[in-house]
Amino acid sequence: MATPGGPRPGNAPPNHNPNALANNMQNLQINQPNQQQSSNVGGTAPRPPNTSPFGQQPPPFTGSRPGPPPPGVFARGPSPPSTPAQTTLPPNMVPARPTGPPPGSRPPPFASRPPPSGALPSSMTGTAAPPHSGAGPRPGPFSSSPLTSGPSAPPQMSSHGPVSNGPPAFAPGMTQSGPRFPPAMGGMPRPSAGPPQSTPMLSSGPSSQPLQVRPSFGSPPAGALSSIGQPAPPFSAPSQAPPFSAASQAPPFSASPQNMPPPPGSLPFSPPVPGVLQSSGSPYGMQTWPPQQQQQQVAPPPPIPGAMQKQQMFGMPPGQPPLPNQSMSLGQTGQSKIDPNQIPRLSTSSSVILHETRHDNQANPPPPATSDYIVKDTGNCSPRYIRCTINQIPCTVDLLSTSAMQLALLVQPLALPHPSEEPIQVVDFGESGPVRCSRCKSYINPFMKFIDQGRRFICNFCGFTDETPRDYHCNLGPDGRRRDADERPELCRGTVEFIASKEYMVRDPMPAVFFFLIDVSMNAIQTGATAAACSAISQVISDLPEGPRTMVGIATFDSTIHFYNLKRALQQPLMLIVPDVQDVYTPLESDVIVQLAECRQHLEILLESIPTMFQNNRIADSAFGAAVKAAFLAMKNTGGKLLVFQSVLPSTGIGSLSAREAEGRSNISAGEKEAHKLLLPVDKTLKTMAIEFAEYQVCVDLFITTQTYVDIASLSVVPKTTGGQVYYYYPFSALSDAAKLYNDLRWNVMRPQGFEAVMRVRCSQGIQVQEYSGNFCKRIPTDVDLPAIDCDKTIMVSLKHDDKLQEGTECAFQCALLYTTVYGQRRIRVSTLSLPCTNMLSNLFRSADLDTQFACILKQAANEIPSGPLAQVRDQATNACINILYSYRKFCATVSSSGQLILPEALKLLPLYTLALLKSNGLRTDGRIDDRSFWMNYVSPLPTPLVIPLVYPRMIAIHELDEKELELDDSVIPTSIPLSSEHISDDGVYLLENGQDCLIYVGTSVQQNVLQQLFGISSVEEISNQFILEQYDNPLSKKLNAIVNEIRRQRCSYLRLKLCKKGDSSGMMFFSYMVEDKTPSGLSYVEYLIHIHRQIQSKMT
Amino acid sequence: MDFSELEGIEGLRWSWHSWPVSKPEVASLVVPLSIMCTPLTPFSELPILPYEPLNCSQCAAVLNPYSRVDYVSKIWVCSFCYRKNPFPRSYAHINENNIPAELFPTYSTVEYHLGTGPASGLASGLVRSPSGLSGLRSNSSSFSSVSAYSGSGSGLDWAGVGAAVGPAFVFVVDGCSSPEELEALKRELLHTITRLPENALVGLVVFDAMVRVYDLGFTECLKVVVFHGERDLSPEQVKELLGLCQMKQSLGKASAVQKQGFLFPVSECEFNIMTAIEDIHSSPLVKPGHRPLRSTGVAISVAVGLLEGCLINTGSRVMVFTSGPATIGPGMIVNSDLSYSIRTHRDLHNGYASYYKTSSEFYKQISHRLSDSSIILDLFACSLDQVGAAELKFPVESSGGFMMLGESFESEQFRKCLRHMFDRDDDGNLKMFFDASIEVVTTRDVKVCGALGPCVSLQKKNDSVSDKVIGEGGTHVWKLGTLTSKTCIAFFFEIGHEQKAQPSSAFFIQFITKYRCSNMGLRKRVTTAARRWVGKHSPEIASGFDQEAAASVMARLAIHKAERTLAEDVIRWLDKTLIQFASKFGDYAQEDPSSFRLSTNFSLYPQFMYYLRRSQFMDVFNSTPDETAFFRLMLNREGVVNSLIMVQPTLFQYSFDGPPVPVVLDVCSISPDVILLFDSFFYVVIHYGSKIAQWRKLGYDKDPSHESFKKLLEAPELDAEQLVAERVPVPKLVKCDQHSSQARFLLAKLNPSVTQNSTHTEGSEIIFTDDVSLQVFIEHLQALAVQERALSREEEGFNS
Repeated sequence: MATPGGPRPGNAPPNHNPNALANNMQNLQINQPNQQQSSNVGGTAPRPPNTSPFGQQPPPFTGSRPGPPPPGVFARGPSPPSTPAQTTLPPNMVPARPTGPPPGSRPPPFASRPPPSGALPSSMTGTAAPPHSGAGPRPGPFSSSPLTSGPSAPPQMSSHGPVSNGPPAFAPGMTQSGPRFPPAMGGMPRPSAGPPQSTPMLSSGPSSQPLQVRPSFGSPPAGALSSIGQPAPPFSAPSQAPPFSAASQAPPFSASPQNMPPPPGSLPFSPPVPGVLQSSGSPYGMQTWPPQQQQQQVAPPPPIPGAMQKQQMFGMPPGQPPLPNQSMSLGQTGQSKIDPNQIPRLSTSSSVILHETRHDNQANPPPPATSDYIVKDTGNCSPRYIRCTINQIPCTVDLLSTSAMQLALLVQPLALPHPSEEPIQVVDFGESGPVRCSRCKSYINPFMKFIDQGRRFICNFCGFTDETPRDYHCNLGPDGRRRDADERPELCRGTVEFIASKEYMVRDPMPAVFFFLIDVSMNAIQTGATAAACSAISQVISDLPEGPRTMVGIATFDSTIHFYNLKRALQQPLMLIVPDVQDVYTPLESDVIVQLAECRQHLEILLESIPTMFQNNRIADSAFGAAVKAAFLAMKNTGGKLLVFQSVLPSTGIGSLSAREAEGRSNISAGEKEAHKLLLPVDKTLKTMAIEFAEYQVCVDLFITTQTYVDIASLSVVPKTTGGQVYYYYPFSALSDAAKLYNDLRWNVMRPQGFEAVMRVRCSQGIQVQEYSGNFCKRIPTDVDLPAIDCDKTIMVSLKHDDKLQEGTECAFQCALLYTTVYGQRRIRVSTLSLPCTNMLSNLFRSADLDTQFACILKQAANEIPSGPLAQVRDQATNACINILYSYRKFCATVSSSGQLILPEALKLLPLYTLALLKSNGLRTDGRIDDRSFWMNYVSPLPTPLVIPLVYPRMIAIHELDEKELELDDSVIPTSIPLSSEHISDDGVYLLENGQDCLIYVGTSVQQNVLQQLFGISSVEEISNQFILEQYDNPLSKKLNAIVNEIRRQRCSYLRLKLCKKGDSSGMMFFSYMVEDKTPSGLSYVEYLIHIHRQIQSKMT
Repeated sequence: MDFSELEGIEGLRWSWHSWPVSKPEVASLVVPLSIMCTPLTPFSELPILPYEPLNCSQCAAVLNPYSRVDYVSKIWVCSFCYRKNPFPRSYAHINENNIPAELFPTYSTVEYHLGTGPASGLASGLVRSPSGLSGLRSNSSSFSSVSAYSGSGSGLDWAGVGAAVGPAFVFVVDGCSSPEELEALKRELLHTITRLPENALVGLVVFDAMVRVYDLGFTECLKVVVFHGERDLSPEQVKELLGLCQMKQSLGKASAVQKQGFLFPVSECEFNIMTAIEDIHSSPLVKPGHRPLRSTGVAISVAVGLLEGCLINTGSRVMVFTSGPATIGPGMIVNSDLSYSIRTHRDLHNGYASYYKTSSEFYKQISHRLSDSSIILDLFACSLDQVGAAELKFPVESSGGFMMLGESFESEQFRKCLRHMFDRDDDGNLKMFFDASIEVVTTRDVKVCGALGPCVSLQKKNDSVSDKVIGEGGTHVWKLGTLTSKTCIAFFFEIGHEQKAQPSSAFFIQFITKYRCSNMGLRKRVTTAARRWVGKHSPEIASGFDQEAAASVMARLAIHKAERTLAEDVIRWLDKTLIQFASKFGDYAQEDPSSFRLSTNFSLYPQFMYYLRRSQFMDVFNSTPDETAFFRLMLNREGVVNSLIMVQPTLFQYSFDGPPVPVVLDVCSISPDVILLFDSFFYVVIHYGSKIAQWRKLGYDKDPSHESFKKLLEAPELDAEQLVAERVPVPKLVKCDQHSSQARFLLAKLNPSVTQNSTHTEGSEIIFTDDVSLQVFIEHLQALAVQERALSREEEGFNS
């Protein structure tokens, strides 16, 4: 399904259900011509049949997306189509392309692309003041294309709509599908190519690639296009290749500026790939701040390394700093001078960026982590797998320290690809295993240089020259590459998977073992947590991987541990109680872990009866530690996943805990001083246990469904060490949290994952790994052991120099993950990233990756929290921000006015994020201990794309959805609003989400009909605490549901929905997310900028 | 009067019926003063008295026919301590013509059916919760009284249930048995459950590498508590882990009825326990080259802990069914690795049995717990290999439990044993007695040294307890977990230092046996016996010698010694005492062996000793330690008659010449034209002479013209069946022809008067052995007996 373009070269790895992956992606409105019509499991709207021929429809999601939040599964009201946009689409498309078979042949990818030339033709927004300097070959119409100006588009659309295959009709389609870049040929292409050029291309195209052309365009080719203004996208679209392949053929292309500015208003961070233009996507008109232009040029072309590119500054200040940046004039005396509209803000866009990882043998800086992008692996691995804080590596440690930035990688080896991306190719070297450098053991990759007619190769990590294995030998072509380089994935792709040979196995690959451990103590039973867990497990059973290798086990516990014999022959389940919680053991030979196929029925019956069985349980004690240990002993032989549902503070048996939070409170004087100690595990017991678990490949996931303090700081050690994670439901409500519990569990078992993994990151000479951080167990310094790893886990790898690097060379990083798939195959996933080295400080700032940098700052702060007073951690975060900005101000900015705060374009949001970080749960002093512990824990393995929303959530207005429907139909999710209370009106309804929680705020004077439509209530007073989103039969409600579902999909999280109203604690909580506001304990955004500015100034003097 | 007739009246066998008054003279008797007491001897005429016995206020002896009664002043004088006791009001109507049964001269034994609370000094020492007993009211069928008892809130958790509480049975089942064995066992268990009285409590424990205790009160699904088979748990831990310990804490709270589900009346959990038994399945996965992992020790410990936790002190059985040795945890006897073999006698002798000592120690601890809580441990072992009966013997024996060593649960032997155990009497009560104790009261000059048999000393000392200890001594009260009508205890006595008794005056010994019927009714049986003191060299001493009783007593002493010392040393000791005995009571001229004679009263005794030396009790060469333990255990509890059968088997000859006749246990009794019926208690052998066998093979017995041959064949079989039927554990019945391999069961026990070394080989039967024959033995004995005492040489004598 993810292979829109028809058959792909590599064989899809069997373990990765392409559907699964594809379906997990967020915005899937990608054109997928060949997409199979999968059944509509996820609750997404069934797509009109007529659209399918189009291939334009972004069906990906519709399929049985195993992904986390399949709304449909949720018992509650029917969920709306997941991709509402589609619904609007079909009409337009109907007439279009009757058959959309993708062309069989695809032009070669990007290889032949000419180097970028010009500077960015910057902003396209009509409103934007400065015209782009870059003289793009772009025709005038472009800038004024309907796409660019959001508002104008709809009319066009509507006007053209009727004209079924007229180009205009297309435009609307474009707006939706364009952004998501279908790699597929049939798919909708990139809008990037200038329209005029595309025309010729089209004309010539048909002959060569008749199939790629969409019928819709086919008939009214040029004229129609030109009339649209920017019909181009469609054309380039026919295949993802065209833009690139065409480049050579189509002159217009080559002429296209490398730094083609994204269409105005498109993502703030325009993708670096020049050719890749994002189309339309978001309505630019919505953007509130004027200087959007800057945002679009974030990425300077990767081009000539070292060559500093002068870019025009679009900031208010007239100065021309050498680097794109934003400066604001900030009065030293007050903020009166500050125009709130000037200050840098996060912008969002749902348009899709097409990203080639390397271009012209140069590393391409990746698009922002939070953006929606499609990667074409052209040598470097996708940024989903490895992101570096700086996309050029400083040659010396001095340069790095001058910049005050940190050098680190965020590695997410099993990250979910975009469904339209090519799946990772699997390479089997047979018995001998993959080719590796014999000295440093790094794996073969595109940057190994073959010499001597291919008989030897030079390792790009250690520089050692190796003999090419005889059966791997191949002659070199005239370009010095091996002739078979393009056929061999390991020589042309940044990420490949090798089938592991025997030498990578100490034993047979382990089966997929899922062991469920449920708290049935009095509290858990009475709050409904047990019932919720049982029901969730029961539903999830059907989602477990099929096959004889899937084994399950189940146990419950209160002050004793109850195992269950699930053997088929037994007429009824047999409960085996292990009473000794001090010196625990597991019932041997009792069929406690059984093949799923053998016990499915028993399991279901059992899960149904557990809540009633313990209905009258009066045992309040919970032997968590012992239960986990006992379950571990049962799993010891195989390893596997242990999913624990815990509801109260473990009070008995090994690893029992005390309510030290309360102790801390009662002893305030000591409590204040030692508060952070409560965030540390109370002792080593659980840690020791966890290390043992990890050794036997047992991964523990903890679902905490509680009403009280459970000492997450201590408990979380177990998941953290074993590669698991903590899910926290506080205060647990059986009514509203059951669905989330189920969805979390479902995603937990269904997401792409691997077992018994070992990961190592290798670096080129001169750089070495300083430290890994994340959820894993480390026994030897170089490797991390991951009993389990899944697509949501990220590991931060901080780097350090141990030597100087040569300017002009590249520095490579390779992450090798040896793991066992859920289907029992041993694989090595190798991702290689090669980045240029630089001696120029300005290059560092230009190529800084904001999201990654901030993720590192966040994770480091989280690590620091337990080790010192909070104020210190907060200061460190602010200082990190100040130091970077100071370095930039001092060494790179040329503005002389001291009254200006000059921010490097790439990092202009750093102060905002840092401020948000200071106000986040983890660094706030007023939070509950458990909330902070959980936050720290949540952050630890958090993937980069989720870091930003965590601290700076997305807020959208719901009450206006109806009105904007026409304007916004290209995107499900409306533009977000800055997190400032001044944007919140009393008659509005707002939705705010951070990837975990989703708050819906209802103002006091919301129109009654809005309330009625959204919540089925007539006044604000009727709002209850326990909120369940239901879908009513009206457009507004459908829209809201669509949005929520879309967010769930994007975040791979079901979100805890809470309804907040002004005036009570829920409203307070909502406003606590308004990070730009001034609060009793924190500065407002503007104040914070001033604070930073002053600090920098004081440093300057 | 014949000794055995006397036994029919008293239930006692005395080694000496007349006791000399002086200590040295007693010592010179060689065979100690002892009484083989079968407390529950079934008497044809046993008065059952529905009231409390009358105890002497000083020595606690019970009123008996030997007491002097002053009917006028309503006073009785204790025959033991001479204290005058007034009769209580209930005896107000007593007079010469109206005397209570216990004073009838012919009723040396009476049984009291205890009506009111037996909170006597005796009982309070034995029963943990005497307060609970005060609820007993009725004196007839104590069924209702027991319900009152249980309702009196003694802490039993099913108190509220209202049903009368019966005995408790915890079945401890070996889950490592093979599936077929297990099926057979389950069948029997299910059958047993159906035959239990409704008020009986049942529990189920299954063990393999783990021990699983079934919760029979849980209805949602089968529920078991699992114990690790390798962890040695203290009783407190077991109780805590079973959740039974909170009862103590909750006693204070009025409403706190701790609900446990491990022991339940059959009536309430019949379905559950049936399901649970059905559910037992053979544990899979035995590592190749290994024995299954069995945690027998922990299983027993847990079962005992369960009963302790439930405060069942009124009689309960832990019944262990196993089919192999314990291989893990405390009580293990062998490594699970098959390359290690199970200990043999030689290993024990050489100290190579590494687990033996620790396991025995472990089981000794268990046996203390058993006796403290009146729990009986039974072992049903059906295995081709040893199961560790040697280690388990101590708790089984001391609790009076039953031991059976068989080969298969599918065997008739096992089925009969188990069913026999749950036989019911005419009233429908199980023929099972619990929580018994025996108190011995003696005349002042008689001191009690100890007892040998399935009992435990309660270490209660009084004036009549001697400092010298034989077996379970240092007490005048013994505890028996259970006893049967055949259980026989050997008591040993000596004469006090300050002997004031006059010859020909009488002395008395009273046995007070208190026990609980299966319906929980309490009974007290009182046997009072009187004998006379005799003077020096009185002929009454010799005429009062019961050589059968003496042989039984010596056999018990011998195996008692054999537990502690090497068998050779015990044999030496036996020889020494025999020679002393012969010298003392023989009639001979000094240094003239040919002149040696023994009176009939003594004549069989040397023979008994000869066969005892050769028996499996002493000569363990061909037995495993398990078998030896079993044999000794049986010898230690059976009465005189059966003991003698074990020591010197009986041999009957069936021939055309007439009715069956006993013949000498000698190889020369084998003849081609006779059938021999051999009974060694553990084996019953029908041995067909070669001619008989040939005729049978030819089918003459089916020929009507040879009716008599058919009858001849049938006769021993009928007799054998009768022997087998009456005996528990059921003996192994062997039918064999002369010269067949099975004939070894017979040959091994016969006196080897004709061996391969014999000069006269007349072609009949010979036994290949180097053992000395009885004749040689007697010759040596005579030679040594007539010598001057030179013990060192005497010892050598028989070891040639």
